Amino acid sequence: MNVLRGRDLVGDLSLDVDAIVVGTGAGGSIALRELARAGLDVVALEEGAFSTVADFDQREDHMLPRLFQEMGGRATEDMAIRVLQGRGVGGSTVHNTNLCKRTPDAILELWAREHGVEGAGPAEMRPGFEAIERDLSVSLIEPSFRNANNDLLRAGCEALGWRGGPLAHNRVGCAQSGFCELGCAFDAKQNALKIVLPQAVAAGARVYSDVRVERVLFEAGCVTGVQAVALDEAGAPHARVLVRARAIVLAASAVGSAALALASGLPDPHGQLGRRLRLHPGGIVAGTFDRAVEGWHGIPQSYECTEHLSFEPGSDRRVWIVPAFAHPIGAAATMPGFGAAHMAAMRTYPRLAVLTAMVHDETSGEVVVGDDGRPVLRYRMSDADQAQLARGLAACARLLLAAGAREVSIPAIPPRRVRSVAELDALDLSFARPHAVPLTAVHPMGTLRLGEDPRRSVVRSTGEHHQVRGLFVADGSLFPTSLGGPPQISIYAFALHVAPHAVERARG
Amino acid sequence: MRQDSGGPAGTKLGRRRVLALGAALLVLGGSAVAVVRTRGYAVPAGRTLVVLSAWQLAVVEDAARRIAAPDRPGDASIPTPDALDVAGFVDAWMAHMPAKVRRDLGRFLGYLEHLAPLACAMTTRFTRLGPDEQDRVLSAVEASSSDLLRAGFEGLKALVFMGYYRDPRTWGLVGFDGPQVGRPAEGWR
Ligand SMILES: Cc1cc2nc3c(=O)[nH]c(=O)nc-3n(C[C@H](O)[C@H](O)[C@H](O)COP(=O)(O)OP(=O)(O)OC[C@H]3O[C@@H](n4cnc5c(N)ncnc54)[C@H](O)[C@@H]3O)c2cc1C
Ligand code: SF4
Repeated sequence: MNVLRGRDLVGDLSLDVDAIVVGTGAGGSIALRELARAGLDVVALEEGAFSTVADFDQREDHMLPRLFQEMGGRATEDMAIRVLQGRGVGGSTVHNTNLCKRTPDAILELWAREHGVEGAGPAEMRPGFEAIERDLSVSLIEPSFRNANNDLLRAGCEALGWRGGPLAHNRVGCAQSGFCELGCAFDAKQNALKIVLPQAVAAGARVYSDVRVERVLFEAGCVTGVQAVALDEAGAPHARVLVRARAIVLAASAVGSAALALASGLPDPHGQLGRRLRLHPGGIVAGTFDRAVEGWHGIPQSYECTEHLSFEPGSDRRVWIVPAFAHPIGAAATMPGFGAAHMAAMRTYPRLAVLTAMVHDETSGEVVVGDDGRPVLRYRMSDADQAQLARGLAACARLLLAAGAREVSIPAIPPRRVRSVAELDALDLSFARPHAVPLTAVHPMGTLRLGEDPRRSVVRSTGEHHQVRGLFVADGSLFPTSLGGPPQISIYAFALHVAPHAVERARG
Repeated sequence: MRQDSGGPAGTKLGRRRVLALGAALLVLGGSAVAVVRTRGYAVPAGRTLVVLSAWQLAVVEDAARRIAAPDRPGDASIPTPDALDVAGFVDAWMAHMPAKVRRDLGRFLGYLEHLAPLACAMTTRFTRLGPDEQDRVLSAVEASSSDLLRAGFEGLKALVFMGYYRDPRTWGLVGFDGPQVGRPAEGWR
């Protein structure tokens, strides 16, 4: 795929095109492809670098700075929750773990019923989901691809009689290396980088890497273009970029798009921009087994437990459980303590199985722009979500014990360790709150929500901004609530839903 | 309140007050660097620093020795943080961090060097304490009642372990066989 690198620009760049897409992840790639396939002159501007298979060397210290926002160090403002997001051509799809689930019908119905989203019910979205699943070769992960960590989750579910099952993924030719979160050295991921962006480029789209959009420009309620900077190898601005267009699609993620909208001073008469950030924050529990698990080998996530997840209105079961194994750097950072005791604990690394409980959150966070222009994520987990977190951690512990763990540990200061269900039942889980247990979020959503009511949403059901004509959103920002599951298929499909409306505006 | 024998008399700062002061310094941006003494630290010969100052390097080096301390002291097969130049790695990594994060981490290092020992009733700066006392100070920060100080500790710990476990010489310790890409025929171990 031919990608134009902003770092190679000699001098400033000025372009006139039909449409601009900001960001090249799940949402941006689809919007770009659809605009190009409609015969429009379209350019994508991506702040991160362009990586090819040869760059993915499976090393945490090399890939974190290359593929992640803020070198993997992005966090909520109070530093309670680490927020992992992608940066680069292909966005977060480059390093995600390839799980594929459609938006649950109950969620789509909720959005229609309570959030005024039109034209995006289960029946209307089905063809889009099917098209995306075809594009990305989505299939069920075969049981033979299930690694020991995932198999222990299955065993736990079966022993307890809890609801669980295999997951679907978008991989073809997977060598089961287990390094998905660092990019795929075997080109097995059927993602934006490998599938969708090349289709867009083949249809005539131009993709610029290393170009950060700093302002959306608009006049008299219509978009006119974007102002951006090209970044050099070290990430410093070295040239100015000005692109004019009739349509602009924001697809810089729920954090990046909201920050850009705010920095651009978009009209916001009802104070909705950047609000209602959702994260799916997750805590982990580790079980120590007597035999080798070596959870870093093989597909990281292939089985789920949905016993504590229900989409019924008012449900108090809002926890999604999947395995969550980390490579040594990530494992060492999460393991409680330090010094000799920490190293001794690290020696059990091959015998650990690790599960995460992600909360299908209701907490309403916010993205704002800091003094230095960077996005600031404000998120104070509600009591109800903290109760879900505690419930999820207890459920993970129960699953690991049921699967035969000799000891189960919840990372905290001090770590809580139990060896039996009786000990678990006696454990007071009120300690399980942000700051006391390490939390990670990989699914930012919300912030520029869909809906017909401009007092409660930022964009219409078509994805077009309520107040600025020609400005569209096509990424995780769109979702009025959290999903309770992996968001990429929803994001790809909603970008497909938005694209025809952007095409219409770009045609003028 | 117990006092460190080598320290100046009359230090009456309560632990809670020191924690609160440290956290306030981090929050308000009243740079901890402004209240710390930065004399008496030297950059080791032959070392060029990227973003850390001499005193910050000294704090990171000492903290790394304790955070990544061996579980089997004296076992020569366990690489030391010094041998892996963990502090040098932290310096280079911090250079690419957003300026605000770098500044906050710098302030945390100032807190660790000068105020955290006080909160443990020690009137000697962190880098002049013995290993056991340093462990006590680090444990206190790790378990601090201030969310901000705990987050500072976790940030430093994450950087130290990144510098330590990035090195193939440590992978054998934890039974990790390392990346397949570029793996030598005899394996990384
Ligand atoms: C470790 C991890 C594992 C995951 N696993 C899964 C999984 O298994 N299944 C699943 O469904 N989801 C998973 N996800 C989440 C999923 O990948 C994301 O939700 C999805 O990719 C988000 O799509 P997006 O289009 O909103 O943003 P992204 O894919 O994040 O793309 C946004 C792009 O915009 C760029 N950008 C930001 N600001 C600017 C700017 N100002 N100018 C130019 N460019 C900009 C960014 O660099 C980035 O490349 C995972 C995420 C992580 C971090
Ligand atoms: S497990 Fe499969 S998809 Fe993941 S990095 Fe390895 S080969 Fe690629």
